[in-house]
Amino acid sequence: MSTPEATSEQDETLESLFEGYTPEEQTLLDKIQTFLYESVYSPFLIMWVDWRTRVGLMILLGFVLMGTVGPRVVERTYVNHGPYTQPWFQSMDHPLGTDRIGHDILSLTVHATPAMLEMVAGGAIFAVVVATLVGTVSGYTGGKIDFVLTTFTDIALNIPGLPLIIVLAAIFEPERAFLVGILLTINAWAGLARAIRSQVLTIRQEAYVEASFTLDMPLSYIVRRDILPNLMPYILMNLMEMARHVIFASVALYFLGILPFTTHNWGIMLNEAYQHQAHTRLDLFYWMAVPIIVIGLISVGLILVAQGMDRVFNPRVRARFDQSKETSTEVDNV
Amino acid sequence: MWGFLTTITSLEFKGGKAFKPEEEHYLCMHWTVKRIFQAVFTVYVVVTLSFALIRLMPGGPMDYLRATLLGPDQTGTVDRERLNRQIELYMNINPDQPLWEQYVQYMSSVFTGDFGQSIWFNRPVAEILLEALPWTVFVMGIALLLTFAINIALGAIMAYKEGSRFDISMTFLSIISTSIPFYVGAILFLLFFSFTWELFPPGSRVNARLDPWTFEWIMSVLHHATLPILSSVLIGLGSGALIMRGNSIQVLGKDYLRVGRLRGLPEGRLALRYVGRNAVLPMYTSLMIAIGNVFGGAVVLEEIFTYPGVGYYLFVAVEARDYMLLMGAFILITVAVVVCLVVADLTYGLIDPRAKGGGYDEHA
Amino acid sequence: MAVTESSYSTGSSEDVIIETHDVSVYFEMDRGTSKVLDDVSLDIYREEILGIVGESGSGKSMFASALLDAVVAPGKTSGDILYHDADGSTIDVLSLNQEELRAFRWEKVSMVFQGAMDSFNPTLRIKGHFIETLKAHDFDVDEGLERATDLLAQVYLDPDRVLSSYPHELSGGMKQRVLIALSLLLDPDVLVMDEPTAALDLLMQRSILRLLENLQQRYDLTVLFITHDLPLVAELSDRVAVLYAFQFVEVGPVSELLERSSHPYTRALLNAVPTLQTPLSDMEPIEGSSPDPINVPTGCSYHPRCPLADERCIGEEPPFYATEHDDHQTKCFHWEDAISEIPLAHHKSTTGSSQIVEGKQSEEPVLTLDNLCVHFENNNSFLGLFGESQTVFAVDEIDLDLYENDILAIVGESGCGKTTLGKASIALQRPTSGEVQYRGDDIWAVKDGRSESDRSYSAIRRALQIIHQDPGSSLNPNQKILRTLESPIKHWKSDMSQTDRRSQIYGLLEYVGLTPAEEYAQRYPHQLSGGEKQRVALTRALLMNPEVILADEAVSALDVSLRVEMMDMMISLQNMFDTSYIFISHDLANARYFAGSVGGRIAVMYLGEIVEIGPAEEVIQNPKHPYTKVLKWSTAELDSDASQEELPLRNIDIPDPVNPPSGCRFHTRCPEARTECRVNSPKLEATDDGDGIEAHQVACFLDKPRDHPYWSSDQLVSEDNPTLVE
Repeated sequence: MSTPEATSEQDETLESLFEGYTPEEQTLLDKIQTFLYESVYSPFLIMWVDWRTRVGLMILLGFVLMGTVGPRVVERTYVNHGPYTQPWFQSMDHPLGTDRIGHDILSLTVHATPAMLEMVAGGAIFAVVVATLVGTVSGYTGGKIDFVLTTFTDIALNIPGLPLIIVLAAIFEPERAFLVGILLTINAWAGLARAIRSQVLTIRQEAYVEASFTLDMPLSYIVRRDILPNLMPYILMNLMEMARHVIFASVALYFLGILPFTTHNWGIMLNEAYQHQAHTRLDLFYWMAVPIIVIGLISVGLILVAQGMDRVFNPRVRARFDQSKETSTEVDNV
Repeated sequence: MWGFLTTITSLEFKGGKAFKPEEEHYLCMHWTVKRIFQAVFTVYVVVTLSFALIRLMPGGPMDYLRATLLGPDQTGTVDRERLNRQIELYMNINPDQPLWEQYVQYMSSVFTGDFGQSIWFNRPVAEILLEALPWTVFVMGIALLLTFAINIALGAIMAYKEGSRFDISMTFLSIISTSIPFYVGAILFLLFFSFTWELFPPGSRVNARLDPWTFEWIMSVLHHATLPILSSVLIGLGSGALIMRGNSIQVLGKDYLRVGRLRGLPEGRLALRYVGRNAVLPMYTSLMIAIGNVFGGAVVLEEIFTYPGVGYYLFVAVEARDYMLLMGAFILITVAVVVCLVVADLTYGLIDPRAKGGGYDEHA
Repeated sequence: MAVTESSYSTGSSEDVIIETHDVSVYFEMDRGTSKVLDDVSLDIYREEILGIVGESGSGKSMFASALLDAVVAPGKTSGDILYHDADGSTIDVLSLNQEELRAFRWEKVSMVFQGAMDSFNPTLRIKGHFIETLKAHDFDVDEGLERATDLLAQVYLDPDRVLSSYPHELSGGMKQRVLIALSLLLDPDVLVMDEPTAALDLLMQRSILRLLENLQQRYDLTVLFITHDLPLVAELSDRVAVLYAFQFVEVGPVSELLERSSHPYTRALLNAVPTLQTPLSDMEPIEGSSPDPINVPTGCSYHPRCPLADERCIGEEPPFYATEHDDHQTKCFHWEDAISEIPLAHHKSTTGSSQIVEGKQSEEPVLTLDNLCVHFENNNSFLGLFGESQTVFAVDEIDLDLYENDILAIVGESGCGKTTLGKASIALQRPTSGEVQYRGDDIWAVKDGRSESDRSYSAIRRALQIIHQDPGSSLNPNQKILRTLESPIKHWKSDMSQTDRRSQIYGLLEYVGLTPAEEYAQRYPHQLSGGEKQRVALTRALLMNPEVILADEAVSALDVSLRVEMMDMMISLQNMFDTSYIFISHDLANARYFAGSVGGRIAVMYLGEIVEIGPAEEVIQNPKHPYTKVLKWSTAELDSDASQEELPLRNIDIPDPVNPPSGCRFHTRCPEARTECRVNSPKLEATDDGDGIEAHQVACFLDKPRDHPYWSSDQLVSEDNPTLVE
């Protein structure tokens, strides 16, 4: 790397101009503190301020606990664990009732959570990473790479998702939870990739991107600092959307018996209830209701957090946050 | 990830979008051709994919069919040549030929409408599916139209009454409705409307004892289709209305609306020709997504309501391991979606004067 | 001296078409009422052109909207607005019901908005806009369309083509003129125009003003022209009212206001505007900023910025004083002193004699453009298959040298390729053919590794910097200023300690006037004003000690009073950093101010070609090319008795650069064009008048001796023009 062709003489004039300015040198500890404050503490507080995100975060946190701590606390159920088809809220032993062969429904629900979370994480992260990569590369580079990627994306976009998943599931019969997750988002990334591409196309026309380019900043800097932060709210919102998509699709396919039964999960619970005609009898309604409510709850949590994502990355909100920290007396002045 | 990006070195600014060409017709035509070409290519890729899945998967469809034809004892009483001829009859693939010939043969049969033979029904796949297709199109088409009409009306009213109690409660309901998977709605409909209150039939397309095209027959068709349609409408409701609401609010703040009002235009014209038209146009994108979703959703709904459309046969095929029927249904659904998308894409240019071909998503 | 309270009118009420008394516009907010128009009273005379001048946020748009009772909710209007109809009846505008108001607007008073770009329904043809307006007011459609055709032709548009177009197919200047035609469709008596030309090129602005004058006379209109640009409106108006902090501060005939304005604010406004005549040293920006509606200063609202302010101004609100002239009133205690205390710069005009400032340019050029061409292919076809691509000749065969400490101003209308030329010069745009050399090395050869030179591309890249036009997008919105400025230093001078780095940044920020620097560094871009953002952008460009900075319309988006300040700062930084500037502008006055002060040059560009280039003062005072003359005409001067000459153009709109005209590209609009110009294109050559300035070059046959075929060919008449219906 050669140094710029500025003469040392000019540097001297500059330095003489700025004498008398001695900002304090930051220690490593200061830097770590600043980092933690700016990247962890303040985003969290910004999200926490909004009631929707607060509720959403609490719901999601609840599910994470259910998936990690839950199986250790709740006993794994077995056949003849309780009476057959006992409705919910009848006994303390089986608060959510039992199924046809005496499984405790609460235990089934809790023990299904780890696999569900693994599947959701696998699918959502796969889709978002692929979409961001394809969209950014395609939008920023242009030319032949763009053409190939766009054609690929368009084809993936045009194939109807669920039928494709069903065909692939019928043939490959995947069992590992995160593989199921990836299968469920096998072409769901395409729409996001296309949206990201067109946003990148717009952002790279922005003057500040051109300014970074003019300063010969490396591409990694431009992408990391100038382009991605603008997309982050959008990407994270879509991460939540994808998570919802994975949950809905997986439950649908387990429910319909397309995916091979492995460990218990919410879709299989629904399937068993369905197989036993729970959808034709009101007195068996609780059997289906439990997984449905669980799915609805996690979905609401994801939607609420997605809505709050925008705020974390909005510089206006962040600036207001900084100011309210400095002058905590005047919160509503901006 | 960054390392990968850094390796891409072709970095030059394509600046200077200073000029705008006036002639657009050429571009338009090119774009149409390009769009149709792309659609055909997509179908081609899907058919090739189906060939690869059938032929190349070890332990996959071909082996499964061979095992089925050999029967349970697997002793090989059937001679190899006859076996292969049977495979060819079912799958349009002769395992004795070299791979590329199998490919050519398979592709040419599919593109001439021969999807092979269904093992489960022992009828040509094409015959089964063509008979089922109109029913799927009928149900899903109506569902799609209804969804859009309701979404547009709802979203526009919410925007006009922004901040009112109606707006807030509808926004809340929309979020709830997007939180519930559509098939849950279908199950609940079945439980209450069919089994508990017995208002609608729980399955099949029509009362088979009636003569076709009589009044009773038509009523029976509608009666049977009601629940599937209602459940499908649920898929797109909510999120679509919220999008329409956002669009309308944006248009309501535009200068041209203010100028139109100053010019004394009647409110009706402003609502329809100004707000309505300009807010609905961006909905086209979500219409495209909805087309895919609706056909995808059809697969699940038809199974739940045992409504023998294309999606239903897809399920039958999965359960019966009838791979030719499976692939046929998949290809047919893909073609239907692709055709819908092309039509939507091409008509968009007619509705929005600003679309210069393919511009609806990139330059919006 | 008579002191009249609240009403400034001395004319008899028969002449008055609109009377306003104590009109206020206010917004109810949580923290109280915010008045964005504060008890103003003003009479508008029949068939006058009244200019209303004020900075952005002074309440001038609110006044315009109030006249039609069209203030957008939740704003409310109070007071009296009386409209005196030609038949003698009087309409109380604020008490009209919905239906009456609907008829009143557009039939009696119509309005042209600031955002012409967005004033048309994008999904409706222009014709539809005309027809629906006629129908809504129960006018005969056929007759109305005839009138529309007539009106469109008078604003130099091709009626048939325009009527069948969609809004997005028209340029900004065309849309603005269509909007004017549409506003006159129902034959109103009053036309209110709210910053109608703000977003347009100067030449287009000026052309529209000229058309407006014709229309006003032809249709006996009363025109209310609202703008922030005092010189622009001075030429057009009969009277001018100056608005400051939601109240009128001075009203009077335009000649009075220009010569004997007696409010310190008006005089400051006059001095803040760069013009072609004013001596460069006499222009000065107004200090401070205009007040916020929630926080208007007590007493005279101008006192914090006023050099004449005393105790009385702080404590007491001044009434209106009538000056010697009947119709000229000022809201200032010190109106008599203002004239002597604040001299007007344009009174000291120097005309004719050009002062050439000696620059400090080097002998060797930093940048050399050699036969530079940039063509854009508009190729949307698939894989180039059905290829029918169109070529846009953005920049065509340009030769130029740029020296150290040089300033080159490139002037032209939007779409003439000046930005492309600028970007090609600093290697942000790869030329189609020709070379850009940096100190003798072909930059693109260095980049592609084809050059023998030991100079690295990276070093060249950093030596050529840019400041963009739009302050809104020039800084990354997600980063604090400090990070934006720190990153390049971190990357390129990694051995610099954090302390040194920051002290350099703070020092620079302080120098460009952003104090306290440490506080500014912690802000996000949205917490800065447009001018402040541009200063940060300037600071960023300077971080790498660049040799050339391209300033792409860098001051155009700023308020008039801030432009001079920004340009001064850039020039003083040139002295410190030995930087050259390429300054792109559509405004000849700004170009002159910037280039003229250090002996720089001005290049005039038209459709991708340089048609005239020379030392700034020389080009301004002694323009040779008809296009330069037109641009000079378009630069408004502080001159009340404006010459009533015809529009010096045969066509207002710039031709399509996809198919540039043959011969001299300007011949379709040039008032001097002859048949020769259609066939042959003139070369850029030194001027012939023997004034000894070799650097002054022009590409026009007019400059050729009498035996040139041009002089014997026929004058072109406007046959490809829409004919004026007289």
